[in-house]
Amino acid sequence: MVLEKKGSARVEAGQRRVLDEATRQRRLTRQLDALEKDNFQDDPLSSLPPPGPTARLPAFSETEEPEKKKRKTRGDHFKQRFRKNFTTLLEEENLSERAEPNYLSAAAPPSSLPPRHFCCVCGFPSHYTCTTCGGRYCSSRCLCTHRETRCLKWTL
Amino acid sequence: MATLVLDNGACTAKIGYSHEAVSIIPNCQFRSKTSRLKTFTANQIDEIKDPSGLFFILPFQKGYLVNWDVQRKVWDHLFGKEMFKVDFSDTSIIITEPYFNFSSIQESMTEILFEEYQFQSVLRINAGSLSAHHYFSSQPSELCCLLVDSGFSFTHIAPYCRSKKMKEGIRRVNVGGKLLTNHLKEIISYRQLHVMDETHVINQVKEDVCYVSQHFYKDMKVSQMKGEENTVVRDYVLPDFSSIRKGFCKPPDEMVFSGKYKTGEQILRLANERFAVPEMLFHPSDIGLQETGIPEAIVDSIQSLPEEMQAHFYQNVVLTGGNTLFSGFRERLEAELRSLAPAHLPVSVLQPQNPISYSWEGGKLLAHSPDYDELIVTRDDYEENGHFICEEKFDM
Repeated sequence: MVLEKKGSARVEAGQRRVLDEATRQRRLTRQLDALEKDNFQDDPLSSLPPPGPTARLPAFSETEEPEKKKRKTRGDHFKQRFRKNFTTLLEEENLSERAEPNYLSAAAPPSSLPPRHFCCVCGFPSHYTCTTCGGRYCSSRCLCTHRETRCLKWTL
Repeated sequence: MATLVLDNGACTAKIGYSHEAVSIIPNCQFRSKTSRLKTFTANQIDEIKDPSGLFFILPFQKGYLVNWDVQRKVWDHLFGKEMFKVDFSDTSIIITEPYFNFSSIQESMTEILFEEYQFQSVLRINAGSLSAHHYFSSQPSELCCLLVDSGFSFTHIAPYCRSKKMKEGIRRVNVGGKLLTNHLKEIISYRQLHVMDETHVINQVKEDVCYVSQHFYKDMKVSQMKGEENTVVRDYVLPDFSSIRKGFCKPPDEMVFSGKYKTGEQILRLANERFAVPEMLFHPSDIGLQETGIPEAIVDSIQSLPEEMQAHFYQNVVLTGGNTLFSGFRERLEAELRSLAPAHLPVSVLQPQNPISYSWEGGKLLAHSPDYDELIVTRDDYEENGHFICEEKFDM
Protein backbone atom coordinates (compact mmCIF):
# COMPACT_ATOMS: atom_id res chain seq x y z
CA MET A 1 0.00 0.00 0.00
CA VAL A 2 1.90 3.02 1.24
CA LEU A 3 5.24 1.37 0.78
CA GLU A 4 4.61 0.58 -2.88
CA LYS A 5 4.43 4.24 -3.76
CA LYS A 6 7.83 4.83 -2.24
CA GLY A 7 10.30 6.17 -4.75
CA SER A 8 13.43 8.23 -4.45
CA ALA A 9 12.59 11.72 -3.38
CA ARG A 10 15.62 13.08 -5.22
CA VAL A 11 14.75 11.59 -8.60
CA GLU A 12 11.25 12.93 -8.42
CA ALA A 13 12.42 16.37 -7.38
CA GLY A 14 13.24 17.38 -10.91
CA GLN A 15 9.62 17.31 -11.98
CA ARG A 16 8.12 18.82 -8.87
CA ARG A 17 7.37 22.45 -8.25
CA VAL A 18 9.80 24.00 -5.82
CA LEU A 19 8.75 26.84 -3.55
CA ASP A 20 11.22 29.72 -3.43
CA GLU A 21 12.71 31.16 -0.26
CA ALA A 22 10.26 34.07 -0.07
CA THR A 23 7.23 31.79 -0.24
CA ARG A 24 8.68 29.53 2.41
CA GLN A 25 9.28 32.52 4.67
CA ARG A 26 5.71 33.74 4.08
CA ARG A 27 4.34 30.34 5.03
CA LEU A 28 6.39 30.31 8.21
CA THR A 29 5.21 33.80 9.16
CA ARG A 30 1.63 32.74 8.56
CA GLN A 31 2.08 29.71 10.79
CA LEU A 32 3.62 31.81 13.55
CA ASP A 33 0.82 34.39 13.28
CA ALA A 34 -1.72 31.60 13.62
CA LEU A 35 -0.13 30.67 16.93
CA GLU A 36 -0.93 34.17 18.23
CA LYS A 37 -4.64 33.94 17.48
CA ASP A 38 -7.12 33.98 20.36
CA ASN A 39 -9.73 31.89 18.55
CA PHE A 40 -9.74 29.67 15.51
CA GLN A 41 -13.49 29.65 15.01
CA ASP A 42 -15.74 32.61 14.23
CA ASP A 43 -17.57 34.50 16.90
CA PRO A 44 -20.86 32.63 17.44
CA LEU A 45 -22.54 36.04 17.73
CA SER A 46 -21.12 37.49 14.53
CA SER A 47 -24.02 36.27 12.42
CA LEU A 48 -26.45 38.20 14.61
CA PRO A 49 -26.75 41.98 14.82
CA PRO A 50 -24.88 43.34 17.83
CA PRO A 51 -27.14 43.57 20.88
CA GLY A 52 -27.94 46.57 23.04
CA PRO A 53 -28.84 50.17 22.19
CA THR A 54 -25.20 51.33 22.36
CA ALA A 55 -24.13 49.32 19.35
CA ARG A 56 -27.09 50.29 17.18
CA LEU A 57 -26.26 51.16 13.60
CA PRO A 58 -26.15 54.90 12.97
CA ALA A 59 -29.40 56.26 11.63
CA PHE A 60 -28.36 58.98 9.22
CA SER A 61 -31.76 60.45 8.59
CA GLU A 62 -32.55 61.05 12.27
CA THR A 63 -32.37 64.63 13.46
CA GLU A 64 -30.32 64.62 16.58
CA GLU A 65 -30.95 66.59 19.68
CA PRO A 66 -28.07 68.82 20.76
CA GLU A 67 -27.41 67.06 24.10
CA LYS A 68 -27.34 63.68 22.42
CA LYS A 69 -24.88 64.99 19.89
CA LYS A 70 -22.54 66.13 22.60
CA ARG A 71 -22.51 62.68 24.15
CA LYS A 72 -21.87 61.11 20.83
CA THR A 73 -18.80 63.19 20.08
CA ARG A 74 -17.39 62.16 23.43
CA GLY A 75 -18.03 58.56 22.55
CA ASP A 76 -16.30 58.98 19.21
CA HIS A 77 -13.39 60.58 20.90
CA PHE A 78 -13.12 57.63 23.26
CA LYS A 79 -13.40 55.22 20.39
CA GLN A 80 -10.65 56.89 18.47
CA ARG A 81 -8.36 57.00 21.42
CA PHE A 82 -9.10 53.59 22.77
CA ARG A 83 -9.64 51.57 19.61
CA LYS A 84 -6.16 50.94 18.39
CA ASN A 85 -4.61 47.61 17.84
CA PHE A 86 -1.18 46.54 18.92
CA THR A 87 0.54 47.26 15.60
CA THR A 88 -0.79 50.83 15.42
CA LEU A 89 0.29 51.52 18.97
CA LEU A 90 3.73 50.14 18.29
CA GLU A 91 4.11 52.31 15.22
CA GLU A 92 2.93 55.40 17.05
CA GLU A 93 5.54 55.01 19.75
CA ASN A 94 8.25 55.33 17.11
CA LEU A 95 10.53 53.20 19.20
CA SER A 96 13.27 52.46 16.71
CA GLU A 97 14.47 56.06 17.03
CA ARG A 98 14.74 56.02 20.80
CA ALA A 99 18.02 55.44 22.59
CA GLU A 100 16.79 54.14 25.95
CA PRO A 101 15.73 50.48 26.36
CA ASN A 102 12.27 49.90 24.90
CA TYR A 103 9.90 47.24 23.59
CA LEU A 104 11.90 46.63 20.44
CA SER A 105 15.34 46.58 22.02
CA ALA A 106 14.19 44.15 24.73
CA ALA A 107 13.42 41.38 22.25
CA ALA A 108 15.62 38.34 22.74
CA PRO A 109 18.28 38.06 19.99
CA PRO A 110 18.44 35.06 17.63
CA SER A 111 19.91 31.97 19.22
CA SER A 112 23.57 31.13 18.76
CA LEU A 113 22.77 27.42 18.82
CA PRO A 114 22.10 25.62 15.55
CA PRO A 115 18.39 24.97 14.94
CA ARG A 116 17.08 21.49 15.68
CA HIS A 117 14.85 19.73 13.21
CA PHE A 118 11.71 17.75 13.81
CA CYS A 119 9.45 15.85 11.49
CA CYS A 120 6.48 18.06 10.74
CA VAL A 121 4.22 15.01 10.65
CA CYS A 122 5.11 12.95 13.72
CA GLY A 123 7.30 15.31 15.70
CA PHE A 124 10.32 13.04 16.09
CA PRO A 125 13.86 14.17 15.17
CA SER A 126 14.16 14.34 11.39
CA HIS A 127 17.05 14.03 8.98
CA TYR A 128 15.46 14.90 5.65
CA THR A 129 14.09 18.01 4.01
CA CYS A 130 11.20 18.06 1.59
CA THR A 131 12.65 19.34 -1.68
CA THR A 132 9.42 21.09 -2.61
CA CYS A 133 8.55 23.17 0.44
CA GLY A 134 11.48 22.80 2.83
CA GLY A 135 9.42 21.04 5.50
CA ARG A 136 11.14 18.31 7.49
CA TYR A 137 10.32 14.62 7.56
CA CYS A 138 11.78 11.53 9.18
CA SER A 139 10.71 8.60 7.00
CA SER A 140 9.17 7.91 3.61
CA ARG A 141 5.90 7.19 5.35
CA CYS A 142 5.83 10.66 6.88
CA LEU A 143 6.88 12.13 3.50
CA CYS A 144 3.81 10.55 1.92
CA THR A 145 1.52 11.99 4.57
CA HIS A 146 3.24 15.33 4.25
CA ARG A 147 2.76 15.44 0.46
CA GLU A 148 -0.84 14.41 0.71
CA THR A 149 -1.83 16.90 3.37
CA ARG A 150 0.57 19.78 3.76
CA CYS A 151 3.27 20.19 1.17
CA LEU A 152 1.66 22.22 -1.59
CA LYS A 153 -1.84 22.29 -0.19
CA TRP A 154 -2.75 23.01 3.35
CA THR A 155 -5.49 20.68 4.43
CA LEU A 156 -5.73 19.97 8.09
CA MET B 1 -8.73 53.38 53.45
CA ALA B 2 -8.85 49.98 51.75
CA THR B 3 -6.28 49.03 49.13
CA LEU B 4 -7.23 46.86 46.19
CA VAL B 5 -4.36 44.98 44.56
CA LEU B 6 -4.97 44.02 40.94
CA ASP B 7 -2.37 42.12 38.95
CA ASN B 8 -4.02 42.66 35.60
CA GLY B 9 -2.68 39.81 33.47
CA ALA B 10 -3.55 39.07 29.86
CA CYS B 11 -5.22 35.79 30.78
CA THR B 12 -6.17 36.03 34.44
CA ALA B 13 -6.59 38.93 36.82
CA LYS B 14 -5.17 38.33 40.27
CA ILE B 15 -7.30 40.52 42.48
CA GLY B 16 -8.01 41.05 46.18
CA TYR B 17 -7.96 43.59 48.99
CA SER B 18 -4.63 43.97 50.73
CA HIS B 19 -6.09 42.55 53.96
CA GLU B 20 -7.67 39.54 52.26
CA ALA B 21 -6.60 36.59 50.11
CA VAL B 22 -6.13 36.61 46.35
CA SER B 23 -8.70 35.48 43.78
CA ILE B 24 -7.57 34.36 40.34
CA ILE B 25 -10.22 35.25 37.78
CA PRO B 26 -10.21 35.07 33.97
CA ASN B 27 -9.60 38.56 32.58
CA CYS B 28 -11.77 38.15 29.51
CA GLN B 29 -15.24 37.55 28.17
CA PHE B 30 -16.63 34.35 26.70
CA ARG B 31 -19.30 33.30 24.27
CA SER B 32 -20.55 29.77 24.13
CA LYS B 33 -22.07 27.82 21.29
CA THR B 34 -25.06 26.77 23.35
CA SER B 35 -26.20 30.16 24.66
CA ARG B 36 -25.51 32.27 21.65
CA LEU B 37 -26.98 35.54 22.75
CA LYS B 38 -25.19 35.86 26.02
CA THR B 39 -21.71 37.13 26.71
CA PHE B 40 -20.14 35.84 29.90
CA THR B 41 -17.70 38.01 31.79
CA ALA B 42 -14.74 36.82 33.89
CA ASN B 43 -15.80 34.21 36.46
CA GLN B 44 -19.25 33.81 34.90
CA ILE B 45 -17.48 31.09 32.91
CA ASP B 46 -18.58 28.76 35.71
CA GLU B 47 -22.21 29.33 34.68
CA ILE B 48 -21.61 27.95 31.19
CA LYS B 49 -23.02 24.45 31.16
CA ASP B 50 -21.29 23.31 27.99
CA PRO B 51 -17.95 25.09 27.58
CA SER B 52 -17.00 23.27 24.37
CA GLY B 53 -16.09 25.53 21.47
CA LEU B 54 -15.75 28.46 23.87
CA PHE B 55 -15.08 31.77 22.15
CA PHE B 56 -12.65 34.10 23.92
CA ILE B 57 -12.74 37.89 23.84
CA LEU B 58 -9.49 39.12 25.33
CA PRO B 59 -8.70 42.75 26.16
CA PHE B 60 -4.99 42.15 25.55
CA GLN B 61 -3.03 41.77 22.32
CA LYS B 62 0.53 40.47 22.51
CA GLY B 63 0.50 41.25 26.21
CA TYR B 64 -0.60 44.88 25.89
CA LEU B 65 -4.00 46.25 26.81
CA VAL B 66 -5.74 47.39 23.64
CA ASN B 67 -9.42 46.60 23.93
CA TRP B 68 -10.72 48.94 26.59
CA ASP B 69 -14.37 48.09 25.97
CA VAL B 70 -13.77 44.52 27.08
CA GLN B 71 -11.44 45.53 29.89
CA ARG B 72 -13.97 47.97 31.31
CA LYS B 73 -16.70 45.34 31.24
CA VAL B 74 -14.46 42.92 33.12
CA TRP B 75 -13.49 45.61 35.62
CA ASP B 76 -17.12 46.68 36.05
CA HIS B 77 -17.87 43.09 36.94
CA LEU B 78 -14.88 42.69 39.27
CA PHE B 79 -15.38 45.98 41.11
CA GLY B 80 -19.17 45.65 41.15
CA LYS B 81 -21.57 44.25 43.67
CA GLU B 82 -21.23 40.66 42.50
CA MET B 83 -17.54 40.50 43.30
CA PHE B 84 -15.52 43.02 45.28
CA LYS B 85 -18.13 45.69 46.07
CA VAL B 86 -15.55 48.45 45.75
CA ASP B 87 -16.40 51.69 47.53
CA PHE B 88 -14.46 53.97 45.20
CA SER B 89 -14.57 56.96 47.56
CA ASP B 90 -12.59 54.99 50.11
CA THR B 91 -10.31 52.74 48.05
CA SER B 92 -6.90 53.05 46.52
CA ILE B 93 -5.66 50.68 43.85
CA ILE B 94 -2.37 49.02 42.97
CA ILE B 95 -2.51 47.90 39.36
CA THR B 96 0.12 46.18 37.23
CA GLU B 97 1.24 46.81 33.67
CA PRO B 98 3.70 45.04 31.36
CA TYR B 99 7.30 46.19 30.86
CA PHE B 100 7.75 49.01 28.35
CA ASN B 101 4.03 49.72 28.34
CA PHE B 102 3.07 52.27 25.70
CA SER B 103 2.46 55.78 26.96
CA SER B 104 -0.97 56.02 25.35
CA ILE B 105 -2.07 52.89 27.21
CA GLN B 106 -0.72 54.30 30.46
CA GLU B 107 -2.57 57.56 29.89
CA SER B 108 -5.84 55.79 29.15
CA MET B 109 -5.44 53.61 32.20
CA THR B 110 -4.91 56.42 34.70
CA GLU B 111 -7.71 58.37 33.08
CA ILE B 112 -10.15 55.49 33.40
CA LEU B 113 -9.15 54.64 36.96
CA PHE B 114 -9.40 58.22 38.21
CA GLU B 115 -12.21 59.60 36.09
CA GLU B 116 -14.50 56.67 35.42
CA TYR B 117 -14.05 54.68 38.59
CA GLN B 118 -12.99 57.56 40.85
CA PHE B 119 -10.35 55.72 42.86
CA GLN B 120 -8.75 57.79 45.61
CA SER B 121 -5.22 56.91 44.62
CA VAL B 122 -3.47 54.82 42.00
CA LEU B 123 -0.16 53.01 41.94
CA ARG B 124 0.67 51.72 38.48
CA ILE B 125 3.63 49.36 38.60
CA ASN B 126 5.21 46.41 36.75
CA ALA B 127 4.16 43.02 38.07
CA GLY B 128 7.87 42.21 38.28
CA SER B 129 8.51 45.09 40.64
CA LEU B 130 5.93 43.64 43.01
CA SER B 131 7.58 40.21 42.75
CA ALA B 132 10.96 41.79 43.46
CA HIS B 133 9.49 43.55 46.49
CA HIS B 134 8.14 40.22 47.68
CA TYR B 135 11.50 38.51 47.18
CA PHE B 136 13.55 41.17 48.91
CA SER B 137 11.21 41.31 51.89
CA SER B 138 11.48 37.55 52.35
CA GLN B 139 15.26 37.53 51.71
CA PRO B 140 16.47 40.82 53.20
CA SER B 141 20.14 39.87 52.86
CA GLU B 142 20.06 39.56 49.06
CA LEU B 143 21.07 42.53 46.91
CA CYS B 144 19.90 41.49 43.46
CA CYS B 145 17.40 39.19 41.88
CA LEU B 146 16.58 38.13 38.35
CA LEU B 147 12.91 37.57 37.69
CA VAL B 148 11.75 35.15 35.05
CA ASP B 149 8.08 35.90 34.43
CA SER B 150 6.66 33.40 31.98
CA GLY B 151 3.04 34.27 31.40
CA PHE B 152 0.28 33.97 28.85
CA SER B 153 1.62 36.31 26.16
CA PHE B 154 5.36 36.22 26.58
CA THR B 155 8.26 35.58 28.93
CA HIS B 156 10.22 38.43 30.45
CA ILE B 157 13.64 38.30 32.08
CA ALA B 158 13.96 41.27 34.41
CA PRO B 159 16.93 42.03 36.68
CA TYR B 160 16.36 44.04 39.85
CA CYS B 161 19.01 45.52 42.11
CA ARG B 162 17.21 46.21 45.37
CA SER B 163 14.10 48.07 44.31
CA LYS B 164 15.72 49.39 41.16
CA LYS B 165 14.71 47.88 37.84
CA MET B 166 17.70 47.44 35.53
CA LYS B 167 16.00 48.41 32.28
CA GLU B 168 18.96 47.64 30.06
CA GLY B 169 18.87 44.00 31.17
CA ILE B 170 15.22 43.29 30.42
CA ARG B 171 14.73 40.64 27.74
CA ARG B 172 11.55 39.37 26.16
CA VAL B 173 11.08 35.93 24.65
CA ASN B 174 7.87 35.86 22.62
CA VAL B 175 6.79 32.47 23.91
CA GLY B 176 3.97 32.28 26.40
CA GLY B 177 1.14 30.02 27.46
CA LYS B 178 -1.08 31.07 24.57
CA LEU B 179 1.48 30.04 21.98
CA LEU B 180 2.02 26.70 23.72
CA THR B 181 -1.71 25.95 23.83
CA ASN B 182 -2.18 26.96 20.20
CA HIS B 183 0.76 24.83 19.14
CA LEU B 184 -0.56 21.81 21.02
CA LYS B 185 -3.98 22.42 19.46
CA GLU B 186 -2.39 22.53 16.03
CA ILE B 187 -0.41 19.31 16.32
CA ILE B 188 -3.25 17.34 17.93
CA SER B 189 -5.59 18.52 15.17
CA TYR B 190 -3.13 17.46 12.50
CA ARG B 191 -2.20 14.12 14.03
CA GLN B 192 -5.39 12.76 15.54
CA LEU B 193 -8.50 14.78 16.29
CA HIS B 194 -9.73 18.17 15.13
CA VAL B 195 -9.67 20.36 18.24
CA MET B 196 -8.87 23.77 16.76
CA ASP B 197 -12.03 25.24 18.32
CA GLU B 198 -11.33 23.86 21.76
CA THR B 199 -8.79 26.28 23.21
CA HIS B 200 -10.31 25.95 26.68
CA VAL B 201 -10.19 22.14 26.69
CA ILE B 202 -6.71 21.88 25.19
CA ASN B 203 -5.37 24.40 27.66
CA GLN B 204 -6.50 22.00 30.37
CA VAL B 205 -4.84 19.10 28.52
CA LYS B 206 -1.63 21.11 28.42
CA GLU B 207 -1.75 21.82 32.14
CA ASP B 208 -2.52 18.18 32.95
CA VAL B 209 -0.08 16.23 30.80
CA CYS B 210 2.76 18.45 29.58
CA TYR B 211 6.09 18.52 31.36
CA VAL B 212 9.58 19.82 30.78
CA SER B 213 11.96 17.07 29.78
CA GLN B 214 15.33 16.80 31.55
CA HIS B 215 16.90 14.75 28.73
CA PHE B 216 15.12 15.76 25.58
CA TYR B 217 16.51 13.28 23.06
CA LYS B 218 16.36 10.42 25.56
CA ASP B 219 12.66 11.11 26.13
CA MET B 220 12.19 11.28 22.36
CA LYS B 221 13.61 7.74 22.10
CA VAL B 222 11.42 6.45 24.92
CA SER B 223 8.29 7.97 23.45
CA GLN B 224 8.97 6.16 20.17
CA MET B 225 8.96 2.71 21.79
CA LYS B 226 6.08 0.30 21.61
CA GLY B 227 3.96 -1.14 24.38
CA GLU B 228 4.81 -0.84 28.03
CA GLU B 229 8.39 0.21 27.44
CA ASN B 230 7.01 3.57 26.41
CA THR B 231 6.76 5.29 29.77
CA VAL B 232 6.02 8.70 28.24
CA VAL B 233 2.77 8.00 26.43
CA ARG B 234 -0.47 8.93 28.19
CA ASP B 235 -4.09 8.53 27.25
CA TYR B 236 -6.13 11.59 28.05
CA VAL B 237 -9.88 11.26 28.44
CA LEU B 238 -11.56 14.31 26.94
CA PRO B 239 -14.52 15.83 28.75
CA ASP B 240 -17.93 15.47 27.11
CA PHE B 241 -19.51 18.00 29.52
CA SER B 242 -22.32 15.64 30.44
CA SER B 243 -20.90 12.71 32.41
CA ILE B 244 -17.26 13.87 32.34
CA ARG B 245 -17.01 17.50 33.41
CA LYS B 246 -13.25 17.69 33.39
CA GLY B 247 -10.71 15.75 31.33
CA PHE B 248 -8.16 13.53 33.03
CA CYS B 249 -5.28 11.16 32.37
CA LYS B 250 -6.00 7.43 32.34
CA PRO B 251 -4.12 5.82 35.20
CA PRO B 252 -1.18 3.83 33.71
CA ASP B 253 -2.55 0.46 34.88
CA GLU B 254 -5.81 1.02 32.97
CA MET B 255 -4.10 1.92 29.71
CA VAL B 256 -4.74 -0.29 26.69
CA PHE B 257 -1.69 -0.36 24.43
CA SER B 258 -3.19 -2.14 21.47
CA GLY B 259 -6.75 -1.94 20.28
CA LYS B 260 -9.49 0.35 21.48
CA TYR B 261 -11.04 1.13 24.81
CA LYS B 262 -14.36 -0.51 25.41
CA THR B 263 -15.69 2.33 27.52
CA GLY B 264 -16.30 4.59 24.53
CA GLU B 265 -14.84 7.83 25.90
CA GLN B 266 -13.02 10.14 23.55
CA ILE B 267 -9.30 9.59 24.00
CA LEU B 268 -6.26 11.60 22.99
CA ARG B 269 -3.01 9.66 22.89
CA LEU B 270 -0.12 11.94 23.74
CA ALA B 271 3.51 10.90 23.46
CA ASN B 272 6.21 13.33 22.30
CA GLU B 273 3.66 16.17 22.44
CA ARG B 274 3.89 16.02 26.23
CA PHE B 275 7.39 17.45 26.38
CA ALA B 276 7.91 18.82 22.85
CA VAL B 277 5.37 21.59 23.52
CA PRO B 278 6.93 23.13 26.67
CA GLU B 279 10.29 22.71 24.89
CA MET B 280 9.41 25.87 22.91
CA LEU B 281 10.23 27.87 26.04
CA PHE B 282 13.80 26.60 25.86
CA HIS B 283 14.17 26.42 22.07
CA PRO B 284 11.79 28.76 20.23
CA SER B 285 13.71 27.94 17.05
CA ASP B 286 12.05 24.50 17.03
CA ILE B 287 8.99 26.13 15.47
CA GLY B 288 11.00 28.61 13.42
CA LEU B 289 10.85 31.53 15.85
CA GLN B 290 14.30 33.11 15.60
CA GLU B 291 14.84 33.89 19.27
CA THR B 292 16.92 32.56 22.12
CA GLY B 293 15.24 30.33 24.68
CA ILE B 294 14.86 31.33 28.32
CA PRO B 295 18.27 30.05 29.56
CA GLU B 296 20.21 31.84 26.82
CA ALA B 297 18.14 34.99 27.27
CA ILE B 298 18.99 34.97 30.98
CA VAL B 299 22.69 34.76 30.20
CA ASP B 300 22.36 37.51 27.58
CA SER B 301 20.56 39.69 30.12
CA ILE B 302 23.09 39.13 32.89
CA GLN B 303 26.02 39.79 30.57
CA SER B 304 24.63 43.21 29.75
CA LEU B 305 24.86 44.22 33.42
CA PRO B 306 27.82 45.47 35.48
CA GLU B 307 30.29 42.68 36.12
CA GLU B 308 30.37 42.97 39.91
CA MET B 309 26.63 42.29 40.06
CA GLN B 310 26.59 39.25 37.79
CA ALA B 311 27.37 36.70 40.50
CA HIS B 312 24.39 37.92 42.54
CA PHE B 313 21.99 37.54 39.65
CA TYR B 314 23.02 33.95 38.92
CA GLN B 315 22.35 33.10 42.55
CA ASN B 316 18.92 34.69 42.72
CA VAL B 317 16.85 33.59 39.78
CA VAL B 318 13.17 33.67 40.75
CA LEU B 319 10.45 32.01 38.67
CA THR B 320 6.97 33.52 38.38
CA GLY B 321 4.09 33.05 35.96
CA GLY B 322 1.99 30.05 35.03
CA ASN B 323 4.41 28.35 32.63
CA THR B 324 6.87 27.74 35.44
CA LEU B 325 4.34 25.27 36.86
CA PHE B 326 5.25 22.64 34.25
CA SER B 327 6.88 19.87 36.26
CA GLY B 328 10.62 19.80 35.75
CA PHE B 329 10.80 23.45 34.67
CA ARG B 330 12.96 24.61 37.56
CA GLU B 331 15.35 21.65 37.37
CA ARG B 332 15.83 21.98 33.63
CA LEU B 333 16.40 25.73 33.81
CA GLU B 334 18.90 25.32 36.61
CA ALA B 335 20.77 22.60 34.70
CA GLU B 336 20.90 24.65 31.48
CA LEU B 337 21.94 27.81 33.30
CA ARG B 338 24.65 25.86 35.10
CA SER B 339 26.13 24.75 31.81
CA LEU B 340 25.98 28.27 30.31
CA ALA B 341 27.15 30.31 33.30
CA PRO B 342 30.84 30.84 34.14
CA ALA B 343 32.06 27.81 36.08
CA HIS B 344 33.17 29.68 39.22
CA LEU B 345 29.78 31.30 39.85
CA PRO B 346 27.15 29.39 41.82
CA VAL B 347 23.73 29.16 40.17
CA SER B 348 20.48 28.87 42.03
CA VAL B 349 16.94 28.96 40.66
CA LEU B 350 14.11 29.46 43.11
CA GLN B 351 10.51 28.60 42.47
CA PRO B 352 8.09 30.17 44.95
CA GLN B 353 5.14 28.23 46.34
CA ASN B 354 2.63 29.90 44.09
CA PRO B 355 4.31 31.46 41.06
CA ILE B 356 1.03 32.80 39.63
CA SER B 357 0.07 34.96 42.60
CA TYR B 358 3.65 35.74 43.69
CA SER B 359 3.53 39.30 42.40
CA TRP B 360 0.05 39.86 43.84
CA GLU B 361 1.41 38.85 47.26
CA GLY B 362 4.20 41.36 46.67
CA GLY B 363 1.58 44.04 46.05
CA LYS B 364 -0.11 43.07 49.27
CA LEU B 365 3.17 43.51 51.17
CA LEU B 366 3.81 46.81 49.41
CA ALA B 367 0.41 48.15 50.44
CA HIS B 368 1.40 47.71 54.09
CA SER B 369 4.95 48.98 53.73
CA PRO B 370 5.85 52.45 55.07
CA ASP B 371 7.01 53.59 51.60
CA TYR B 372 3.62 53.04 50.06
CA ASP B 373 2.38 56.61 50.52
CA GLU B 374 5.46 57.92 48.73
CA LEU B 375 4.78 55.87 45.63
CA ILE B 376 1.14 56.55 44.92
CA VAL B 377 -0.56 59.32 42.99
CA THR B 378 -3.60 60.63 44.82
CA ARG B 379 -6.75 62.03 43.31
CA ASP B 380 -5.79 65.55 44.36
CA ASP B 381 -2.37 65.20 42.71
CA TYR B 382 -3.99 63.96 39.53
CA GLU B 383 -6.60 66.68 39.41
CA GLU B 384 -3.91 69.29 39.97
CA ASN B 385 -1.26 68.01 37.57
CA GLY B 386 -2.99 65.54 35.25
CA HIS B 387 -1.14 62.74 33.55
CA PHE B 388 2.21 64.47 33.94
CA ILE B 389 2.44 63.61 37.65
CA CYS B 390 1.86 59.92 36.91
CA GLU B 391 4.64 59.83 34.36
CA GLU B 392 6.98 61.38 36.87
CA LYS B 393 6.05 59.25 39.86
CA PHE B 394 5.61 55.87 38.26
CA ASP B 395 8.97 56.13 36.47
CA MET B 396 8.47 53.15 34.18
